Order: sequence, then structure tokens, then C-alpha cells
Amino acid sequence: MDSKELLSLESASINTSTPLPTSLFKKVEDRGNLHDQAFETKRVSFLRDSFNRFTKNKASIVAAVIILLIALFALIVPLASPRSYVDPVIYPNGFMDDNFSLALPYNPMFKGTGFWDGTKVDTVGSNDYNTYLFDDSNNKYLVNLIEKKEDRVGSTVSYSYVVRLNTYYRGNILVKMQKEKYEDFISYQKEKGIYQTEKSIDKPLVDSATYLAAYKQSLLDEGFALTSVNNVIDKMTNQYNQKSGIFYELSAKNKKGELVDNIFTPVVDNNGQVKEIYKRDTNGNLVYFESHGGEYTVRVDSFDYSTYYNGFEPYYFFGANKSGQDIFLRLALGTRFSLLLGISISAINFLIGLLWGAISGYYGGAADLVMERITDIISNVPSIIVLSICAVQFTNNAGLKAVFGDGGLVILAFLIAFVYSGWIGVASTTRMQFYRFKGQEYVLASRTLGAKDSRLIFKHILPNAAGTLVTSSVLMIPSVIFSETSLSYLGIVNFSTSGIVSIGSLLNEGQAAGLQYAPHMLLFPCIVISLLMICFNLFGNGLRDAFNTSLKGSEE
Amino acid sequence: MKETKQTLIYILKRLALMVLTFIAIFFICFILIRLLPYQVDSGMKDQETFFKNMVAQGRMQPIYEIINGVKVPTGKYESTPIFTQLWYFLSNLFSPNSPYRWGVSYIIDLYSSPADVLFSRLPPTILINIYSMIVSIPVGLGLGIFMALKKNKWEDHALSILVMLVISVPSFVYAFLLQYIFSYQLGIFEPVRANLGDGGWFAPQMFASMVLPVLAMCFGSIAGFARYTRAELTEVLTSDFMLLARTKGLTRAQATVRHAFRNSLVPIFPMILGEIISVLSGSLIIENIFVVNGVGSLFLEAITRRDLDVFQFVAMFYITIGLVGSLIVDISYGIVDPRIRMGGGK
Repeated sequence: MDSKELLSLESASINTSTPLPTSLFKKVEDRGNLHDQAFETKRVSFLRDSFNRFTKNKASIVAAVIILLIALFALIVPLASPRSYVDPVIYPNGFMDDNFSLALPYNPMFKGTGFWDGTKVDTVGSNDYNTYLFDDSNNKYLVNLIEKKEDRVGSTVSYSYVVRLNTYYRGNILVKMQKEKYEDFISYQKEKGIYQTEKSIDKPLVDSATYLAAYKQSLLDEGFALTSVNNVIDKMTNQYNQKSGIFYELSAKNKKGELVDNIFTPVVDNNGQVKEIYKRDTNGNLVYFESHGGEYTVRVDSFDYSTYYNGFEPYYFFGANKSGQDIFLRLALGTRFSLLLGISISAINFLIGLLWGAISGYYGGAADLVMERITDIISNVPSIIVLSICAVQFTNNAGLKAVFGDGGLVILAFLIAFVYSGWIGVASTTRMQFYRFKGQEYVLASRTLGAKDSRLIFKHILPNAAGTLVTSSVLMIPSVIFSETSLSYLGIVNFSTSGIVSIGSLLNEGQAAGLQYAPHMLLFPCIVISLLMICFNLFGNGLRDAFNTSLKGSEE
Repeated sequence: MKETKQTLIYILKRLALMVLTFIAIFFICFILIRLLPYQVDSGMKDQETFFKNMVAQGRMQPIYEIINGVKVPTGKYESTPIFTQLWYFLSNLFSPNSPYRWGVSYIIDLYSSPADVLFSRLPPTILINIYSMIVSIPVGLGLGIFMALKKNKWEDHALSILVMLVISVPSFVYAFLLQYIFSYQLGIFEPVRANLGDGGWFAPQMFASMVLPVLAMCFGSIAGFARYTRAELTEVLTSDFMLLARTKGLTRAQATVRHAFRNSLVPIFPMILGEIISVLSGSLIIENIFVVNGVGSLFLEAITRRDLDVFQFVAMFYITIGLVGSLIVDISYGIVDPRIRMGGGK
């Protein structure tokens, strides 16, 4: 068909206005249905691709695993520890046992190695050393003697001993109990087969009164003045009453044979043994209890007794704090609190920031200007001010206290203080992403086709910004945890009455106890917080690379 | 000429904006802080003097009761409305002779001006920050340059890991570590800041006692500088003008020093400037651990002991430093980098 023919056809169609016969037309290429070519390679979705890239980064996988382990530790330990299942009426702030205040970390695997086995090295004088040697309790304070030092001042020689001491030793104590409890106690020992044996928990009572009366008479017979003898006997009575571990005769004479009223030494026979002064009945048998009106007084080994009493061994894996609480358990509780707070605050900030940033970035212009000024002002009021104001205002508000309780108020204060300015980071990231994508051709095309604002925002722009936003919100978790830890460490928020534990409040306690006396109280929280920070940063960096599609294929 | 005029207008605009932001923040902080309750009996020995003082500042008013048509003071006081308080505060602020110009400290230093309290705490903070800057800037830049030049070699990898660790680990962790090892275990340095008593701020024992806090502050900023410098320098080193410099015959060292390093300083210089300005503001944590008794610990003390006027003054001090710092940093970008200056004028 040449052009002339075509022209006449055209005029014909216009003139006659009848449809052209289809036979005049011919397909340029007839190949059935028209389709895009099928993918020859396997289709990879955005998430799949990101995940593949993430798994290539070994460091962030290790970091993710460590975070998971810490989270498991925080979740499982409070459930598994026997110390969480004590009577809340007796222990309103969780289990505590003053006897084991500041006990050092103990790990059964390291028993006897001198490292992480609850022992410490100390230098003591010979008097203390002697009292450590003579002990009828099941656990010995003195683990071993490391070195005996000789100090010479002029002609007098004194010895000091470098010793390894067991910080879990509490010796024998007197306890009072009702008759039924005493019978339970005895039957427990019989069951274990330790009743009145070497390993028996209850020990024979000490009859210091008889000995003191005899000793007083012997001193008077030796010709010491009555007043000084009375004074010495009074002090000695105190000594016996205060230390239930002393079961032997004490002497008040120093080496020169003079009476002293502050240092009492054990009386040692020729074999180097002390003379016991156990209470005996008329038949000469040892007496194990004394009863007054149904109340039994028993002398027991403190460590074994608390194992019996509480149902678990009073060992502390990470040591104990000043009031004898388990740091292992409290660290798990604190980590749980910090992690939950970090995650929930990040989630809230993410949502608010997303909305704010989307509006300000998408609409731009005057709205953007005003919104930017508002964020400017908000971000310049330090959150520390907001936090302290919230903390003080809330604790003085009886109504809020009734609704949320002490612990709830602390959480609320943190929530407000961190949400108050925390979303600004996400908002500015979102705004930037919107500025980047909103002018692009594909958005323009969609708008030309009549798409609404909401469709443009949620279907076309946000998915592109998702990677950056997810990364920034994951990286927000460690920053929230860090701020929370610092603020509660500094004591700006008072945790003591709320029963809530955070890593920061553990650090605060540790610093109050003194770094030089109780380094273990700071060591373990510091390790956990450092691990969390490092791992979250590595994990976040891994995520950032994973979501960065421009890196696709760059390593192959 | 036109260019300087435009720069000037830009600076003035930013300055005006800053003042506006400052005023808005001040009002918010003022209202929030004045909403806090006073702990009347905690610090002041004589409550009557305290109440008289508060009435003189317009912050409290006596409660009267009417007996037989005559107003009789009950001896109790209540807070005045917050906007009355604001009015009184502002009129005190703009009358130079007023004894209550910046408010009054009620707990930390009884009945003295918060400004005096703050200025007495400045020297240790400034000293520690300056020492820390003197150490951290050269070391940080040096490390960053070294890492950039050794890019992707083992030195770079090792240092990068170290820098990442130091940046991630919170500063109190290494502050505790330093304190435990160097003062409690080895006994080399004092665990807390020495007393001012003998020898003043530059005495040897004062310097020795400041070593640990300075070290603890340094680690973070050294790592920050190193990471930033490395990133900037590696970017510049791969740019086209470096290739040109090498093609025209400069040695690698010449090209690096004359072209790459100077260009990479463009974003680093404002960072240093920011550091210089923040010399005035103390770190809460480090000052608390080493008992420095500087501005940071004053801030903390004012919050925990609720000396509200001091708290307000110190908070506004910190906010001013932050605002001025960010302004100067922004302006210095334009001064250092001609591209920004030219681009801004269009």
C-alpha cells in the first residue's frame, strides 16, 4: 500500500464514516501474547537480598548472637533463680541476706583455684590468725596460709600472716526457733545422715558462764586486783556473747603474764589444741539446745543453716551487694528492664518521628519551617531537665502514685523524658529521605496518575526509606540504654523505693559500696553494658549495610 | 564585598534565630523548674529568712486569714502564680543592682548568687577539658591520618576495631577501670581530685590528680577524631584532584599534606571548634566518678539536692553553650569551605 492509496482511504473513512475493514490491517509481528521476558535467574525479594547481605557480615552475626544470649540471660535467670521464689512478705525488695553482705563471686568450677571462688587474700596479725585456726564450724574462714612474715621492731618479734580467706564464712551463730521448727530441723539432719556427726549443722552449746566463774576465781587466787579482774571478766563475757564461734577457753594474759582487757588469746595445751568448754548435762553428754517457754536456742553453722533454711546454697555467682542480694539475679533483672525500656522507647520514638518527619518532609514549605523550629526548641531542652522534673513531680503526685505505683512512676518518668526529645532523630532522618525521594520521576508519575498523598507517602516513598529508618531505630536502642544507665547511675532518678533494678542503679550501688572494697559490684554490670553497646553498634552497622541496596553485588 | 555582606546577613539571621530559640527554651525551662516543689527544710537553717527572701523575690506570698474583718498573717506562705514569678524574675534580671539577679542558691551555697557558685566551679572543669583537648586532638588526628594512609592493611583493621570498641564502651566503664587499676591497685595516681589548698590549680599534685579524669575523657574523643579523620581523608585521597596532583609530579607525601589533608580538615575544623567551646561544660559522669567538683558535678548536685535556682542557671548555661557552639560551628563551615560560602549566596 503506498501513500496515495492510504490518503484516499483516509478521506474515504471520513466521508463515509463506516469502519474500515480489518482485512486492510496487518500485525507488524504476530507472536501470540505479548509478555516481558521471564526471569532466567531466581527472583530475590528486597528482604531476602538484605538478609543475604547481612549473613555475609560475620561480625554483626556474632553481635546478634551475643545480644540474643544477653536477652536470654535477662529473661531466664529471674525465672530460674531460686532467689526469685522467696516469700514477698519477708523480702519485699527481693531476697537478701545480711550475713553474706559483699560476698565475692563464687563459681563452683573454679573452687580451690583462688580465682572466682569467693576467696580473698588478706594480711592479718597473729591474734586474728589464731582465732581462725580454732573453729568448730563446718566451714573454715582460713582457706590456706600463703606466707608468714616476721616483723622486727627493736628486739620484739611479731608475725603477720598473708592468708586466703573464704568470704562466705560466717561461723557459728545462735538462732532461736519454735519447737515444731526445731523438730523439722532435726529430722532434716537425720534424713541427710549428718545429725550429731562431724558435719552436723547444729553444734553443742558453749557453757561460758561456768568457765568464766572458774577463771575469775583462778585470777583472784593469783592475786590480781578485784576491779581489774571484774573488768576483764565483763569484757570476756561480751566476747563470748558476741562471737558464738568461740567454744574454747580464753586467756586474758599477754606474754609477760599481765592482764589485758582488749586481746584475749585461746588457751592452748601442749599438743597445740584448745580446751573446749561445751555445755554438758549431768551425765556428761553434750547439750545441743536450750528451751525457754517453747522457744529453742540452738547453735548452728551459719552457712549450712541458711542452706537448710532457704532451700538453696547461699553462693553468689556474681557476688553479693551490700545488703546481701544476688548480683547475678539483679543484673538479669536490670538488663531485662534496660532492654525492655530501650526497645519500647525506640518503638514509640520511631512511630512519632516517622509521622512527624513524613509530614514535614512531604509537605515542606511553611509547615516544614514551623515544625523544624519546634524540633529545634525541643531538642535544645536537655532531657535531663525533663527527666528530673518528671521524677520529682510524679513522686509528689499522690493520684498518679496510686495509679502507677512507685515502679510505674519511674518507668513513666523515663518514658516521658526519652520520648520527649528522642523522636527528633528519626524525624529528621525521615524528613531527609522524603526530600530525597519526593521529587523523583516515579513519584511524579504516580501523582500525575492521580495518586493521593497518603498513597504516595506509604506506597512509594516510605518503602524506599525503610532501610535507613530501621537502622536508625535499631541504633536508638543502645543510645536509650546508655542514657538510662547514665542517668540512673548518677542517681537523678531514685530507684530505691520502687523495687525496680536497672544496670545504672546497680552501678550506683556499686560506686556507693566503694570501688576499692567491692569491685565485683561494678565489674559485672560494666561488662554487660559494654557488651550490649558494642554488639548493638555492630548489629546496627550490619543492618545498615544489609539494607543498602547499592551494595548489591559489590562484593562478588 | 557583596559576598561579605551576604555572609554578614546570614550570620545575623542565624543569631536572631538563636536568640529566639533561647528565649523559647528559657520560658519552657523556667516554667518547668518553677513547677518543682521546694524542699524547705533541707538546707536553709532559718526558715523565716528563707520565706522573707522568697517574698522579696516575688516568688511566695504570705497567706492571710480574716479575723473580725482584719487581715492577719497566718505565718504560712504559698507560691505566687507562675507568670507573676516570671515577671519578677525578668525585672530582677534587668536591674543590675538587684541582689536576686540570677536567683539565689538555697542549698549549695546559702543565699549567694548562682552565677558566683557557677564561676567558682569553672576552673577545674576548664583545666580538665583543656588538658584532655591538648592530648586528644593531635593524637586523634594523627591516628586518623595513619589509618587512612594504611587503609585496608592490618594496622588499619586493628585500629578500626579498637576505635569501634572505645566509641561503643560507655565512658564510665573505662573511668572505673582507670580508677581501679591506677589508684586502688597500683597506687600511682590519686583516685579523686586533689584539694586546692596548697599550690593552686597548677601545682604538681593537682596535675597528677587530674591525669585519670583527663585520660578517661580523652579516650572517647580520640576515637571520635580518629574515626572522623580517617573517613574524611580516605574520601579525599580517592578524589580526582589527588590524581591530578600526582600526575603533575608531586610525591605522595606532598600531595597528601598539601592537598588531601587540608581538604579533609574542612569538616574536622568545625568539630575542633565545637570541642573548644564545650570546654566550659563539664562531663557529669567523669566529674562524679573522680570527684572533680566542677560544673558537671554542680549540675548534678543542683538536681539531686533541688537547689532550683542554681539548677536553672547551670541548665541555661549548658543550653547557651550548646546553642552558641552549634552556631559557630555552622558559620565556620562557610568560612573554611568556599564552596559552602558560594553556594549559600546563590
